[in-house]
Amino acid sequence: MNGVTKITLAAFLLAGLASCGNDSENAGPFGALAQTAGQVAAERRAAKQPAAPAKSPQEAAAEALRVNPGPLIQAGFENLGRTQVMAMTGQNGAMRTYMTPAEEALILRNGLLVGTRGLGHDLSVAEPQTEPLIRAGAAGSGTRVMRYFAGDGVERPLQFACTVGAGPNPGVTVENCEGHGATFQNSYMVQGGQIAVSRQWIGPSLGYVTIQVLRP
Amino acid sequence: MATTLPVALVLGSVSTTAVAEPMYARNMSTFGLPGGIDTPTAETLPDGTLGATVSWSDYGRRGSVVFQALPGLTAVLRYGRVDGINDYRNDGYISDRSADLRWQVLDEQGWRPAVAVGLQDFLGTGVYSGEYIVATRTVTPQVRVSAGLGWGVLAGKPRTIDSGDEGGTPNVDQWFRGGTRPFASVSWQVNDRLNLVAEYSNMDYVAKYSSGAVFQQGDEPDSNLNLAAFYRFGGNYEVGLYTIGGNTFGAQFSIALNPREATYPSGLEKAPAPVRPRPAPQADPDGWSGVWAQDPTAHPAIQTALGDAMRKEGQTLESMALSANRAEVRLRNARHISQAEAIGRTARLMTRALPPSVETFVITSTADGVPTSSVTVRRSDVERLENTEAGQIAAASALSDAPAGAPGLVRSEGVYPRFRWSIKPYVDLGIFSAEDGLTHEVGAEARASYEIAPGLVLTGALRQRAFGNIDPRGPGIPGRRGEHYTPEEYLADPSLETTPQGVPRVRSDTRMYTGNNDPVIPELTLAWYAKPAPTVYTRVTTGLLERAYGGVSTEVLWKPVNSSFALGAEVNRVKKRDFDQLFDFRDYEVTMGHVSAYYEFTQGFTAQLDVGKYLAGDKGATITLTREFANGWRIGAYATKTDLSAEEFGEGSFDKGVTLSIPLGWATGQPTRERVSADLRSLSRDGGAQLNVRDRLYDHVRDSHSVKLYEGWGRFWR
Repeated sequence: MNGVTKITLAAFLLAGLASCGNDSENAGPFGALAQTAGQVAAERRAAKQPAAPAKSPQEAAAEALRVNPGPLIQAGFENLGRTQVMAMTGQNGAMRTYMTPAEEALILRNGLLVGTRGLGHDLSVAEPQTEPLIRAGAAGSGTRVMRYFAGDGVERPLQFACTVGAGPNPGVTVENCEGHGATFQNSYMVQGGQIAVSRQWIGPSLGYVTIQVLRP
Repeated sequence: MATTLPVALVLGSVSTTAVAEPMYARNMSTFGLPGGIDTPTAETLPDGTLGATVSWSDYGRRGSVVFQALPGLTAVLRYGRVDGINDYRNDGYISDRSADLRWQVLDEQGWRPAVAVGLQDFLGTGVYSGEYIVATRTVTPQVRVSAGLGWGVLAGKPRTIDSGDEGGTPNVDQWFRGGTRPFASVSWQVNDRLNLVAEYSNMDYVAKYSSGAVFQQGDEPDSNLNLAAFYRFGGNYEVGLYTIGGNTFGAQFSIALNPREATYPSGLEKAPAPVRPRPAPQADPDGWSGVWAQDPTAHPAIQTALGDAMRKEGQTLESMALSANRAEVRLRNARHISQAEAIGRTARLMTRALPPSVETFVITSTADGVPTSSVTVRRSDVERLENTEAGQIAAASALSDAPAGAPGLVRSEGVYPRFRWSIKPYVDLGIFSAEDGLTHEVGAEARASYEIAPGLVLTGALRQRAFGNIDPRGPGIPGRRGEHYTPEEYLADPSLETTPQGVPRVRSDTRMYTGNNDPVIPELTLAWYAKPAPTVYTRVTTGLLERAYGGVSTEVLWKPVNSSFALGAEVNRVKKRDFDQLFDFRDYEVTMGHVSAYYEFTQGFTAQLDVGKYLAGDKGATITLTREFANGWRIGAYATKTDLSAEEFGEGSFDKGVTLSIPLGWATGQPTRERVSADLRSLSRDGGAQLNVRDRLYDHVRDSHSVKLYEGWGRFWR
């Protein structure tokens, strides 16, 4: 038996041992790493399977509308490269929390993005002073504070100067923001005071999300 | 991509005024800190960076661990093999440990260069001993120039090493003495990855000993000109090739981790269940009036529902008190590094489980079954402030000391007794051992704990070694450096368990406990945690406390919840365990202990001072300084000095070391309280030896106390 085999065998032994016990919250570093490795392996295997033809966003939306009687949105995460139907799991005043089946969340206030959860580079909270302008479809300017977790575990605010005005396409309001050497542009299609379709910036890592209301 | 916001912006400063980037290193020197090749520069690493460099050449191998302890303070611990020197071992090389400190006095500003002073190899035996003052300036965006004055080896004037010295203490009287010579370096950043360096160095790689011996390490450099190319990849890695004087070539590899650069800064944990606002009073008149509280079945049903919901989030509802307008829950957090996240999630679950008339939420954190602090918050504030900036809910809530009991508190069913077990692999690594280099032992460990009642825990562990190269060995033979007693010799003569200087061998025979091929019991204890007063915590641990000692350990801690100051005392009566690590004991027995003062500074720095008696009966003090980040990273250093003389203590003169603890979630993004920890001791000797009892009170208690809780408060709405 050569050395490489021995090492592989030992690693298998460790991985096998790592999963024993009734103490899932305290499985130890090896346990946690083995779980992570297990997930990666499972994903790899899943990727190799001849997958069922992926549902188009339209088909997914139609199915969700049939199955779920509650409010639904469809969210396309540009940097993550996926589009998902999200169902409302809670409403607190004008604030609604929508979640994917994997319990990742978008938090919207009357359609305006105020936070994300479970995505790894989440927006903790957005405080857009431009909100009344956007809803009214009026032109003007205001500041927008976006709060993020930095890697050291501390929440930090980023402040942007934004101008709101009519976009090139009729019915679309555009919010241009600038600050910290960066620019981004949010677009909102407002119908009857409600934001029906929008493309909003989450943050530097996650980029934009396109949100379409399937059922208000 | 339409956006070009650099990620660094989120990681770094948020002030809107432009601040010039501090002068960060482009490459590591062969000594493992920002520099040219062999010479230092005045550059720093980003604050908090932890790095390691391994450098190989004919002059030796150097492994260095670097930590940017403060924005201007760089510290290095180095373990190296220095080729070409013969000591009593006659191996043709020596193993050498050394430490450096560098302080950047001024950062670059305008025309003014950055300036740093440094001490190289200022503890220990001094093969690399030297001091320097260096200035570095950016000439063009690509080119930086450094120039400085060096003393000691940096001037090519190595100090005479005292062959009989135990090392480990600063050789202050030699600093900046003995003649100086200049050095200089130029670095050219060709592109994002490639950096070329040329330097003028006076290092001649000669070591002189007081015995008269003079050694040339490797070949004498042909010239004072050194050249190198460094290549960065993957963000955190760097490889380098260099030549010293044109005739000696070397290679190196560096890795740098910054606690601020988490893979998933916000974590990948599932989104919390949102707040459920209360219905209008007319929609639920019974719920709002509080008449439900008269129903004896209401409380148990609510407690069960809330307990189930909390369990899904990795929390345990230990007990609950419920009245018509107030609810107190006692929460054991087993999942989140940040206690605030556990509290915030519990507050939201309470809005989903409790009838509308309950307006006051009291969330009491527990540790080891003992309540540690209470957060009191109005339910209307939780409803009103959901998903706002976390400071708002902090301002609307109150943090107070939690008494041991509270009126109406009902324990949850099925929480006690609680039995947990696991079988998992273990790996013991010895890295900084001068005698042995890298050592390891791998095996399996079965561990079980039985919590009989809150605060009363029976814990046991059983280990079986599978393979490894940490074999049993007696302590070193006094006067014959490099030679050790065999285990048989050591066992045969009990008088060997005391050194010739009369110091009992409390740790220097630690290798007698290793390499056991039979099962061993690393610990088997019964621990009792209690809280006799709202600010006083106690612990009594009895049994086989650690690998080498068993007995009774008692501790008391005074820590008010809103105080950054704490006091503690510990008294232990312990007996040395037999080397088979089962139930037998050896003859040595001691009563030892200390009083401790703890202080939490701002910006994540904590200090601890212990004064007392150590395992060998020596009296002295330990000072520990730790830096910790809100994400859970902890890096600390400690030093112990006791009334043993440097000769009685042996090599290293006094005990010192570095501790490091990295939360696993920082690397994986998954929510877990697991950590990867390491204790780098420069040496492990009999003087200043502490008992390694598990679960001392302070760290457990302060997770939910003001400084640490508010540091992580941003995660309340996570």
